[in-house]
Amino acid sequence: MQISLQELTMTYPSGKRALQGVNLELDSPSLVGLLGPNGAGKSTLMKLLVAGLLPTGGAVRVDGEPLLRRERALKARLGYLPQDFGLYDELTVTEFLDYMAALKGLQDSRAAIQSAIEEVHLEEKARAKIRTLSGGQRQRVGIAQALLGEPELLIFDEPTVGLDPEERIHFRNLFSRLAQRRLVLLSTHIIEDVQSVCSRLLVLHRGKLRFDGPPEELIRAAEGHVGTFDETGGEREEGLHITARVNTARGVACRAVAEALPPYVQPAEPTLEDAYLYLISGEGEA
Amino acid sequence: MNVLTLTARELGRLLRGRLTWLVLALTALSPAAGLTVLRFTASETMLSRCVADPALAAGVLGGLLFALLTLWDSARASKSRVEVLTDAAVSPLTAALARLAALLVTAALALVLTTLAWLPWTAYTVGAVFDGLDYLLAYGILMGLALPLCILLAGAAWQFTRRFDLSLVLVAVLAALSLTVWRGEWQLCWLNPCVWALSDDFSNFRVLRSAAYMRLTWLLGLAGVWALSWLCIRRYGKGPLGSLARSARRVYRPLLALALLLCCGWSYAAQPFIDRSNPDLTVMSFFEIPYLEGVTFVSRTAQVFPDTKAGTVSGRASFRFENTSGQEQKVAFGVNPGYTVSDVRANGVDVPFTVSAYQEYNEALLEVTIPADGEVELTMAYRGYPQESIPTMQGGKELSAEYLCLENSALSPRLMNVLPGEDGYPAAIEITLPEAMTVIPFGSSEAEIIAEHDNGTRTWRYEDNGTGGILYAGDYVREDMEAGGIHIQFYYGRKHQAVMEAVGAADAVQAVVDYCTQHYGPLSFGAGESLKLIQSRVAGGGYAADGASLLDEAGFTIANLADGAKGAAAGEVFIHELVHQWWGLGNMFDTADPSSPWSAEGLTVYTTYRIAKELYGEDYAVENYVDQWRAAVDDYYLNFYVRCPEYLDALPEAERLAISNALSGMRQYSEMPLKILKAQELVGGEEAMDEILKGLFTRELDPMYPYLTYQEFLDACGLTEEDLSLD
Repeated sequence: MQISLQELTMTYPSGKRALQGVNLELDSPSLVGLLGPNGAGKSTLMKLLVAGLLPTGGAVRVDGEPLLRRERALKARLGYLPQDFGLYDELTVTEFLDYMAALKGLQDSRAAIQSAIEEVHLEEKARAKIRTLSGGQRQRVGIAQALLGEPELLIFDEPTVGLDPEERIHFRNLFSRLAQRRLVLLSTHIIEDVQSVCSRLLVLHRGKLRFDGPPEELIRAAEGHVGTFDETGGEREEGLHITARVNTARGVACRAVAEALPPYVQPAEPTLEDAYLYLISGEGEA
Repeated sequence: MNVLTLTARELGRLLRGRLTWLVLALTALSPAAGLTVLRFTASETMLSRCVADPALAAGVLGGLLFALLTLWDSARASKSRVEVLTDAAVSPLTAALARLAALLVTAALALVLTTLAWLPWTAYTVGAVFDGLDYLLAYGILMGLALPLCILLAGAAWQFTRRFDLSLVLVAVLAALSLTVWRGEWQLCWLNPCVWALSDDFSNFRVLRSAAYMRLTWLLGLAGVWALSWLCIRRYGKGPLGSLARSARRVYRPLLALALLLCCGWSYAAQPFIDRSNPDLTVMSFFEIPYLEGVTFVSRTAQVFPDTKAGTVSGRASFRFENTSGQEQKVAFGVNPGYTVSDVRANGVDVPFTVSAYQEYNEALLEVTIPADGEVELTMAYRGYPQESIPTMQGGKELSAEYLCLENSALSPRLMNVLPGEDGYPAAIEITLPEAMTVIPFGSSEAEIIAEHDNGTRTWRYEDNGTGGILYAGDYVREDMEAGGIHIQFYYGRKHQAVMEAVGAADAVQAVVDYCTQHYGPLSFGAGESLKLIQSRVAGGGYAADGASLLDEAGFTIANLADGAKGAAAGEVFIHELVHQWWGLGNMFDTADPSSPWSAEGLTVYTTYRIAKELYGEDYAVENYVDQWRAAVDDYYLNFYVRCPEYLDALPEAERLAISNALSGMRQYSEMPLKILKAQELVGGEEAMDEILKGLFTRELDPMYPYLTYQEFLDACGLTEEDLSLD
């Protein structure tokens, strides 16, 4: 599957401009991480990709054709987990997945449901009413419905919210495995989730695509712009963005990014988080 | 995406919800409201009370419950954000279609459950006159069709507004309009069809057809509105108009919605049931058409062919006139507004004719120009669905293989402006009907079978004299007897045979006619030597003329025959209803004043007591009548609201009416007979009272006010109101 975004712009009726001139090419198989602060336009971009919204400018093309012309085909090949979703509480996990399988028009729904339940480790809860599930289990049901029918395009918006660390690692690996044969778009706030598995990273900020490339490239761009220092309470340099504070025996140890590090800041090896923060702090341009 | 598969899953999901089962359970219980607080019909027939009212109540309550379920289910999918998932899998338009289909199937399930649940009780209570087809049709039309209407309305309201509260208000407003302002508008009361009565003993196709027609009209309309709202389902983050513009790009969609709305409008305008007669009943312009100079009537014939399956009539009428004017003349007829007149010829030649758009008293004006020939034979064909005038009392023009009533211009065109010849207006009517039907001309005419056909029909013929005429036909049992010096033909519906036999109807008729004729005098409407007593389909009352009297079936229902206020046993209640031929019909009474004990019931109950005394002895009559009246009157005088009427005024209207009606019934059925009994003692005994009543019965009537008043009764007895005080 190939998705092409051309000068994609989305302005809401309220006047808020969520996306501005985004150009992208997404090909399968790949696992694409989508990063950006709140309000950057990530969810809007995803809604545009699943035909939940129509762009006010530019175009989304699927396999070379306008998305709306291939909307039905796209939905048949799509697994989508939005950030905020609901489930029918009165159904069991299996019944809900059966319902979603019918919506997706799956022929062999029983095998697909079984497979999805196993993928998200909900075998023991397969016959439990959804109203009895915990928040993390409900999130897993959401992931399971997206996996139904082995869709060619998987779009996950904050999929690991509410999951415990062990489950997060499981799903991170699952997404990585799924991406071997599919196009997976993973939007998250959790940098770790994308750092270890994504081959490609997109960073959106204020509706614009600020970075498109492998994570290493983003890290490289931050080299020489990340450092540490002990906070003394004195005046801080203009342009120095503290990214972490840690209480130590010597006081508060700070980690910061800046276009030019002040002399009292010891240069440090950038992490992906540093690089991301450096990028969106407005100091760096990929 | 297969919508059927999706519908099955939606249905499965819906049926797993507790609210769905609560709605199903409450809907199945809702007919109980029709037996108590939510009565719609105005008749006391068993089917009205035990089938129509429960089914109508179930339609109203079940419909509103399903509207709630529709709104709740739609709002929940949106509020809980399940929609976000489903919309990514399938078009929201498809999902809405599947949801609608699932709700409709659930409504069908509710109908089946309710119908089955109430069947045993209804069959048991209605007893011998229970009819499974009527039961199914009544529940299907009066209840069943209300549910999809409410689902469509609620669904449309949600799809337009996407707001639960606003949608609820919209549904409530339309439902309230139907239950109040539109209650008397048979095409507008979509939730509670205008069904005033169902017949126990004859068929109910006409009134049920009308209700079904109204419901189908609304179904078309609401389906159109729903289709329009369906196009407004929010897509691509757009508002209702933006979504409409996007969804309407497939042109067949808005065209379908438009077609449904147009069909609804056409169906509303082209309804075949009710005419457009001038509602001002003081206008009688057709009766003021002057008679033609030089044209006299010779004879007429009519061949009438009712189609008992379709409920339509076709016929040919032939009129012979003498035209001595030497000019063309315009002859006027009244025709039923539902009929189309064609093939109008005079002496074998087509002649011009017009049918007026103006209608009056259930007739349109047909004007035919006849030639200047001295003898004119005018023939015409007519065909159509006979229309009625009173939308809130439909059913009078019932036409089925069980029953029909064709009156005047519904039977054949009624001549208006030609003077009678030497023999008056002689007429010969032939009518072809299924062989199970007996033809009963209303009046002294006798119908005879003149042909039997291979298709299971018979042609009947009778002669009459008049420009109109009334014909009853149905699956009747006929019993002949001699009573009161005349020959009585007693006709009653075959479905009522078991009840009639159980109450000894034939003997009762004989006893009443003998007794009343002997004590009060013969009925004024008896045709000298014969009288037809015809049980009619429920009509809101009986009437009598020219050797025939109509007995409304409502007087002979199983429930009415068990009414202890009218007689000690079912057979005596039957006698009571027959006595009304003398007191009520033979001698009329003005509309009863609720505060007065005087009405037709007092003399009727008193006469019933006298007949019971004659049949079963004094002890029986005193114990079962006089003692019962005294007990009831004693209770009445001790009644709190009788002693303190000011407290009655403080009650809510419904309770006040219920208590007032009960007290009024007691005054008429118990207090007045006791007063008459007291009058009997004061005037010198039974014979003296019989003479007084005979004098009143045979008195000269004032045509302007032909009613028998309490004062006339007191004057005839030489008593005052105070004399009859029971204190």
